[in-house]
Amino acid sequence: MSSLAEYAWLVPVFPAAAFAALTAMGRGAGRAGAWIGTLASLVSLILSLLIAGQRLSGTAEEYSNHFDWIQVGNTTLPIGFEVTNLTSLMLVVVTLVSFLVNLYSQGYMKDDERISTFFAYVALFSASMLGLVLSYNLLTMYIFWELVGVCSFLLVGFWFRKPEARAAAKKAFIVTRIGDLGLLIAILLLFWYMPNHELDFTNLHNVFGTQTGVISTGITTLIALLIFLGAVGKSGQFPLHVWLPDAMEGPTPISALIHAATMVAAGVFLVARTFDIFHASQAAMDTVAVIGAFTAIFAATIGLAQNDIKRILAYSTVSQLGYMMLALGVGSVSAAMFHLFTHAFFKALLFLGAGSVIHSVHTQDIREMGGLGGRMKITAWTFGIGALALSGIPPLAGFWSKDAVLTAALDGHPVYFVVGVVAAFFTALYMARLFFLVFAGKPRGDAHAHESPAVMTIPLVVLAVLAALAGFVQTPFNGWFGEWLTGEAEQEHASGLVIIVSTAVGLLGVYLGWLIYAKGTVRRDIVSSRMPGVVRLLERKYYVDELYHYVIVKPLEGLGKLLIAFDDYVVDGAVRLAGMSASAIGRLNTRLQSGQVQGYVLTALIGLVILALAVAGRRFW
Amino acid sequence: MIHLPTLTWSDAWYLAPELTLSIFAVVLAVLDLFLPRSWNRNIIGWLTLVGLASAAAFVVWLMIDFKNAAAAHPEDPTAAFRNLLGGSYRIDDFGNLLKLVFLGASGFIVLSSLGSVRSSDIPLKGEFYYFMLPAALGAMVMSSSGDLITLFVGLELLSITSYILVGMRKRSGLSAEGAFKYLVAGGVASAFVLYGMSFLYGVTGTTNLAFIGEGIPAAITDYRALVYVAFFLMTAGFAMKLALAPFHAWAADVYQGAPTPVTSFLAVVSKGAAFAMLYRIFMNTAFFAKDDPFVQKDLYLGLSVLAAAAMIVGTAGALRQRQVKRLLALSGVANAGILLTPLAIHLTPLHSSLFSEFVYYLIAYAFMNIGAFAVLTVVSRGSGNESLSGFAGLYYRAPWTAAGMTVLLCSLSGLPVTGGFFGKLFILFGTVQTGAYWLAAILLVTTVVSYAVYFSFIRQMYMRSGSDDSSIRIPGPAGVTIWLCVAATLALGFLPKPVLGWIDALFSIPADFLAR
Repeated sequence: MSSLAEYAWLVPVFPAAAFAALTAMGRGAGRAGAWIGTLASLVSLILSLLIAGQRLSGTAEEYSNHFDWIQVGNTTLPIGFEVTNLTSLMLVVVTLVSFLVNLYSQGYMKDDERISTFFAYVALFSASMLGLVLSYNLLTMYIFWELVGVCSFLLVGFWFRKPEARAAAKKAFIVTRIGDLGLLIAILLLFWYMPNHELDFTNLHNVFGTQTGVISTGITTLIALLIFLGAVGKSGQFPLHVWLPDAMEGPTPISALIHAATMVAAGVFLVARTFDIFHASQAAMDTVAVIGAFTAIFAATIGLAQNDIKRILAYSTVSQLGYMMLALGVGSVSAAMFHLFTHAFFKALLFLGAGSVIHSVHTQDIREMGGLGGRMKITAWTFGIGALALSGIPPLAGFWSKDAVLTAALDGHPVYFVVGVVAAFFTALYMARLFFLVFAGKPRGDAHAHESPAVMTIPLVVLAVLAALAGFVQTPFNGWFGEWLTGEAEQEHASGLVIIVSTAVGLLGVYLGWLIYAKGTVRRDIVSSRMPGVVRLLERKYYVDELYHYVIVKPLEGLGKLLIAFDDYVVDGAVRLAGMSASAIGRLNTRLQSGQVQGYVLTALIGLVILALAVAGRRFW
Repeated sequence: MIHLPTLTWSDAWYLAPELTLSIFAVVLAVLDLFLPRSWNRNIIGWLTLVGLASAAAFVVWLMIDFKNAAAAHPEDPTAAFRNLLGGSYRIDDFGNLLKLVFLGASGFIVLSSLGSVRSSDIPLKGEFYYFMLPAALGAMVMSSSGDLITLFVGLELLSITSYILVGMRKRSGLSAEGAFKYLVAGGVASAFVLYGMSFLYGVTGTTNLAFIGEGIPAAITDYRALVYVAFFLMTAGFAMKLALAPFHAWAADVYQGAPTPVTSFLAVVSKGAAFAMLYRIFMNTAFFAKDDPFVQKDLYLGLSVLAAAAMIVGTAGALRQRQVKRLLALSGVANAGILLTPLAIHLTPLHSSLFSEFVYYLIAYAFMNIGAFAVLTVVSRGSGNESLSGFAGLYYRAPWTAAGMTVLLCSLSGLPVTGGFFGKLFILFGTVQTGAYWLAAILLVTTVVSYAVYFSFIRQMYMRSGSDDSSIRIPGPAGVTIWLCVAATLALGFLPKPVLGWIDALFSIPADFLAR
């Protein structure tokens, strides 16, 4: 029986074809364009499910195929695809969220006049992301890595008439470019140092995983750190996290698809895919763990003090990605991928729920919302499930995956564990704040809130079910998922301590949030009145943006002005000089062109004499 | 006393392309006389095309023949060429390749003028078409001669025919003026060439190029000054024919006066034929002057200086030009400089690919010029004038033609991925290889400046709106020509290697120039 994996390359082809079709049809496609995009994503989803299903049976071999793309001298640059358990899992996650977001957008973007452009971009993004997931070597991956970056740029700036959207799109693109540059250098270094210039993941695994010593530790660390820089940019880790909250200027379904479930997880996926390189360098592993842990708690504290519903979720995403990095840093790929898996569902759910709310009340400020629970029952319930899952309340998906991460962290270093637990507490607290302010209490704004149409609520329900149940693929009592994913049995360490502590902090956070924001037993300004400085610090997001503004942007602007001055006076001066001399020669030519043929012949004769004297005459002096 | 061999039947086979053209020229001239006036003279045009095509077919046949012969007798260096009439005429791959270019270019030009030439402009349309045949024949003779006299006969055949062609627009004062100026300038050029040839004959005692080559070293020891005089006179004459600065002043007036297809013929075929002759003479004679420490170097330096001057003056002059034909004439001056560059940096062990570089750019140059002139023909019909502003809003009036013209302009300015880009690139490589950095620098700088020239078209086509926004009707044959030229330009840009490889495989300097 032929393996379906051989046809895995078709998965990205469908959305790519949809993109081509939508682009060809132009704006006239309208609603039909939306259905083309949705249909393509559905076909991809079905194919991905079949591929993953075949792999689940456990018999299928890993399949990879490639062709030589460029041949320069003795070096070939192949591109190709590869299907492993890890990639098939990612295929399902990406196509599923992509399909649901497509469906949801049918309602959310209904009145936008550029709806078919939107669906074209989404299709291009899906194709690129699937290509990234399927890549068989780093080169292929890098191409798609850049493509998803472009799509992110296009979609964040989709409402380009808003100056904030334009600025956010630029910021997202430029900040992630910093990381991309690191990744590019890492790929070049690998190309240089790898035997035969091989860049495919199998060879990377062989060289870094089994044949130690082929590449020196110093270079390995350097390469790993540069790859991680790419991941930091894409996954919004400190200190390159600044673009992700601003990227919320894009349409909300995009925030769900790109900036919560898939693209931002590409950084985690990249590290997981090249994990052998990291594993070969303890310094790199420690860096990943420290950055991950720091980002987790750092972003969670900022999330406590934000008032924009999407920004809170964005900081939450940054924080949760930090958890995944932490898990990778302490050596547990399976915990990281598990958290990525569950996070994709509940965070997409939360964003789509937030979108539903925004769609209904036309504001993003949670202080102007309230009491929506009664009028938007499906949204409220599903959002609640997502919030609980994120807060790590058993038995929802987020609990199990966060538990796996925390268990791995405890194995690594107690400090990581403590940081993770504190961040989990903050997570529960800010989600409780968000939920109760939006859905409980009395209505604050004057909006006529109403439930969203079915195309928007069905994805919410599907995701809510997944957010509730997806965690059961791996529990401390059932290590099936990790075994399937990494091919080796995880040693069983159901840590009662971790379960109890994480459940406790989750419940404590939710309870405290309920007390403050729903019941009102604890005054809201209890912290801000006593420590206004701290709150201000959090509200201003630790002044990181301001810091960058003064430390990086301003000096660069100064440098730019200097260069402009140089350009204006020195370069342009030279250009003007060249231009002037060219037109002077031209004028001379015009004068020669008198129309008198005897003049022409005389010029020719003088030309001959001068030429002959100048070139040959010197021989006869 | 030299024994003069006579033409045999077996020789006639090798002359089949030339004979075909002669026969077609005579028959069509007679046919034109006897055809009733009411008949459209386009029939003559189509028959001219048939004549050109059958001559080209014969050339291809001969090339295949040579290739097979060379493959059958690899040890025999004389298998791949043929000396006729005591070495005064030679059939070799150099000549055949250029003949194909000339015949192809003439064919495209005839094709583009079918349906575009109006009787009100050119009263004698039949003549206009069939005069292309002797003109092409002259060019073929120039590319295939082994003797100064045959070369000169070819040159005169081409020149005299083109004087007539330039004056075809009988009712236009500009055309008559152009024809007159061309006659005077061409006559002066022929005088220069002939005077130089006579010195060459004087110092070597022969008109046969191969014997001149043998006699050159001795001539240099005895009459060094006269050798210089001979070559500089010939160089000046060819520089006039090629319109190299400062011998180019006639070109703008003549190009403007001539009917546009003829302008295109002058720019491509006449220029190419003059180059063929220059190659024949320099490769067979000046090349052998290498024993003397100075002479050969000086002669090639003279060519380099002319090439540089042509590039600079042509580009700078085109900057200020608003009349499209004059602009393209000056662009032709600059391109002549570029085409001269491979020869001017001459053959060294480092640089053996001069002919491939030259022919590649010549082919690219032919396509982009014929295409551009064909566009100019339809545009000037549509807008009623030949100034740059006639292109205003072309994108809205004929979007596909504007797109095709954009490709041709990219090729003219040397932007990828077009034939012009690779042609310039190969020439640049050759220049750098031989260490002629100053010439490379001039080539690069003038290329950059030329963007300003060619982009003024693009600005007009896309960013200006013309006074008239009715769509332009493109006659079928002209449209086909434009698109064939665009396609060829792109093909040369996307697949430079096969074409270059093909030229390299066909052509080798020892067999095709020097062997006798």
